[in-house]
Amino acid sequence: MRRRRLSTVLRTAAAVLLTMLFLFPIYWLFMISFKTAEEIFAFPPKWWPSRIGLDSYAVLFKDGDATTVANSLVIAGASTLIAMFLGTLAAYSLARWRTGGEHLANWIISQRMVPPIAVVFPIFLLYVFLGWVDTRVGLILLYTAFNLPYVIWMMRGYILDIPRALEEAALVDGLTPWQVLWQVVLPMSRAGLFATAIFTFVFAWNEFIFALVLTRTEVTTYTVQVTHYFGGQSNFWAKISAMSVLGTLPIFIVVGFLQKYLVRGISMGAVKG
Amino acid sequence: MTPVPVPRQGRRHRDRVFRLALVAPSIVVLLLVGVFPLVYLIVVSFQNLTMSDTDTSFQGLLNYRLVLTDARLWQSLLHTLIFIAVALPTELVLGLAMAQLFIERIPGRAVFIALLVLPVLVSPIVAGATWALMFDNRFGPINQILGWFAGEPVSLLWTIKPSLVYAAILIAEVWQWTPFMFLLLLAALSAVDKSQLEAAAIDGASWWRTFRQIVLPAIWPVMAVAILIRALDLFRLFDIVWALTKGGPGTMTETISMFTYVKGFQQFETSYVAAVSLLIIVLLSTVVLWTLKRVELSR
Amino acid sequence: MIQAFCGRMAAAFTRALVPALAILSMAFSAPALAQSAAQRAVDAAKKICSGKTITIVWEAGLQSLDPLNFSGPKWEQLTGCKIKVVEVPTAEMFTKIMQEFRAGTGAYDALNVIPAWMPDLVQAGALENLESYVDKYSYRAELQTIAPTYRDNQMTVNGKIYGFPDDGDVFILYYRKDIFARPELQKAFKAKFNDELAPPKTWKQFDDIGAFLTEALKGEGIYGASFFREPPYTMFMFQERFRVEGGKFFDAGTMKATVNSPVGVKVLTEMRNENRFMPPGVEKFGFVENLAVFLDGKSAMTISWPPYGRFAAGYLADEKALSWVPKSKIANKVGYALPPGGHPELAAGFALSVASTSKQKEQAYLFIQWLNSEEISLQRVQLPYTLRDPFRNSHYVSQEYMARWPDAKDYLAALGEGAKTGLLDLSLIQTDKYEEAIRQGISKLWAGDDPKTILDDIARQWDEITQRVGLDKQKAVYNSWAAKSGAYPK
Repeated sequence: MRRRRLSTVLRTAAAVLLTMLFLFPIYWLFMISFKTAEEIFAFPPKWWPSRIGLDSYAVLFKDGDATTVANSLVIAGASTLIAMFLGTLAAYSLARWRTGGEHLANWIISQRMVPPIAVVFPIFLLYVFLGWVDTRVGLILLYTAFNLPYVIWMMRGYILDIPRALEEAALVDGLTPWQVLWQVVLPMSRAGLFATAIFTFVFAWNEFIFALVLTRTEVTTYTVQVTHYFGGQSNFWAKISAMSVLGTLPIFIVVGFLQKYLVRGISMGAVKG
Repeated sequence: MTPVPVPRQGRRHRDRVFRLALVAPSIVVLLLVGVFPLVYLIVVSFQNLTMSDTDTSFQGLLNYRLVLTDARLWQSLLHTLIFIAVALPTELVLGLAMAQLFIERIPGRAVFIALLVLPVLVSPIVAGATWALMFDNRFGPINQILGWFAGEPVSLLWTIKPSLVYAAILIAEVWQWTPFMFLLLLAALSAVDKSQLEAAAIDGASWWRTFRQIVLPAIWPVMAVAILIRALDLFRLFDIVWALTKGGPGTMTETISMFTYVKGFQQFETSYVAAVSLLIIVLLSTVVLWTLKRVELSR
Repeated sequence: MIQAFCGRMAAAFTRALVPALAILSMAFSAPALAQSAAQRAVDAAKKICSGKTITIVWEAGLQSLDPLNFSGPKWEQLTGCKIKVVEVPTAEMFTKIMQEFRAGTGAYDALNVIPAWMPDLVQAGALENLESYVDKYSYRAELQTIAPTYRDNQMTVNGKIYGFPDDGDVFILYYRKDIFARPELQKAFKAKFNDELAPPKTWKQFDDIGAFLTEALKGEGIYGASFFREPPYTMFMFQERFRVEGGKFFDAGTMKATVNSPVGVKVLTEMRNENRFMPPGVEKFGFVENLAVFLDGKSAMTISWPPYGRFAAGYLADEKALSWVPKSKIANKVGYALPPGGHPELAAGFALSVASTSKQKEQAYLFIQWLNSEEISLQRVQLPYTLRDPFRNSHYVSQEYMARWPDAKDYLAALGEGAKTGLLDLSLIQTDKYEEAIRQGISKLWAGDDPKTILDDIARQWDEITQRVGLDKQKAVYNSWAAKSGAYPK
């Protein structure tokens, strides 16, 4: 019992140390949103601002910059949902029946080997032709396409981890394959779904090059908006920082609420076998 | 319960349709966005489109010959490989260690996990700019902290001196993406059969033995994909390096994606970059497919 | 007597008549002559642009506040023509303009371009030739009153007008006149160097003063000087210093790069040696880092663009848009001079152009004529949040501007001097490739490489680029650039 307790204490201490290390740059960035210009460039560096004021944030809302966060949320969110849905379906097919064999799976992952810079201009041409430049639909479709390979391969891995016995039993019980997917496989792979979804969202959220080229004024995303603050003769650090906080907050909250599924998924591992 | 007898061929057919129907939408989306650019790249790589020249006549292997003799291109590939070779194992081992740490219950685990995801959520551009500021000699805390330990002012030029630039970039990169490995592996560890672990513990097996024979095979499907994805993304390393060194000193830290950015995006060497991109695609495909063949992905 | 009275009345009447007639005739004379260019633009736009929307590409961030908050709304109010501002980060401006042009989208009507890009853009066909519009709306006279260096160097390509210089970017030496005035420092300097402690006229003087002050002011944590030594900025400083010390970029006959001459080596070596008396880590300083050090009072000299002067004076420092500027501790303590050598770099700058693929070229043209006109440009360079610097002769002598802060008169005088003797950025076909070689060379310099090796490598790269572009083609462009008054110091 004591060994258990010591182990827990040590683990907690390690967790705290680790979190502090990883969070330090976040802390530094976060503090900038409260610092004055002199404090940001103070010598020696200042570790905390003299006052906590929400002016930088207020300015973002007043000037309308904050709407770019909303744009990003919509685009990244929609493309994540679509990619997760289509991708998990495809992953199931690939995992259980090796549909399309090696060739299909390899072709899918090869899409992620294409350097973005190289295809930015042809996609821009395509979008000009389709009239999708500066539209939400255009970016959503693009990000969905980009993330499908990731979702398919990740979910295939997670599904392969689930013993087939459960599904076979369900089929014997009379469920249709579709029902087996929804009622047996997906709940079992919840942890994997969650982990995959987070990063699918993150990839779409942080994407820059395509958002830069394929938008002009209507659908500016948050990543592009942040680069507006880095000028040759100016540097809006407070805005950069406040914008990043605003940008990180939604997904952080979502992760905060949903990570219990991840954790539950972990302890559910004990149920098997 | 006996299964309802269905004509065998009919059920097989229905099943096959079902399996294909599952993958079809994904394939359509990928084709929509993937076909035209690829065709464009191939066609354009045989032309001579540059900033001032829009001549679309066939130029043969001009660009491919240039690709073979471009020292800067191959150096940038080398730099990229170095980054992958160091960052990937580091992120993997660190992420795995962190996942092992959190797999057992500890107070406030939920909070820790949520907080540890934050580095990945910061846009790489902003992360790069923040680290650049942190590494700054006058305005950043890192040299300040080092100075406290050393007892005297420390003046390390992290983003300028050749001996330090790789370290600076790797620190920032590992910081940002270890949480990725951490979270994926945490989810994968949940699939490990606890009863097997307990049996091994009763048998008195060492930690390493347990890990090698029970845990690793269980998490391998996910871990392998995580490594693959991370390697492919590291191949596209751009924002962090750009923010910290812009590829400098000289072109010492220039990655392949920075090279294509400068040549294609800023200098409009459209045809040349098309050839370079096709080269990259072929290289990557070969390496990845060869690896996949040798490595068994499913149990 | 009545006759005399009537005579005198008649005479008086006649005397008053002539001026009266003159006034009346002026009031009724052809509008094109009495009206300003700005007014002409407004009137024409009212007829052909009302209800339409023009897009203009502008540098994102502080710069774009001008069309967003001032010129855009004002234009709409005067003409009914809406302005849509497409903000693009500085680093991506060229790319986006070229991409939209290549794709033929016609999405942009008016453009902001950096003059060094103009040869490339004109070569590609992306910019509209403005000659016919300038004549149609009689703008030539007002183009002539732009300060000579900008007018003669940043407006034309192959002798034709493709853009209106709209920003007086020039490098100015800012120095702490209070420090330079300290008696004990003056005495000590005179004793050591047998020279007055005054703003340096040569780079040797600069080096002496910088090292001297850093040593003397160690206790106060003040350095003799600091610069923005990051490669992109130092690239401009190198161009200036190299030419001021007598260097030539190319051999005009063979088009071989001569940047690796002994002059180049001297410049690079001195630059690196100077870092020793500047704040440690200066190699990484960008525009804002250097500004922070200067406004904090921690450097006695620096060289930078005109905004430093306004920020240092605390000009409208409470403006919300300027909250990123550290509060100046040195207001009223700053002197202005030309950098050593007396030929400052007209680094970057901006010109207003019309996109060749625009479907509303005339409307776009009228907007940029109005923006660039005497009347409106004077207002624009005085906006509190502006990054547009004075660029017209009238700006430098504007009473209104001079009243803005106590030393504004000296500030404008320095800018005006720079506008007469300034040096043009190197601008060829594929300028960015040549600039890139210098940038990379500078980063290698800070890393510790040998200057001659670095310059030889730059020269080699330059020759390769010239070969790829086409030696004769590039030679023609270079010679036409070199023929401009601001290419090399006279």
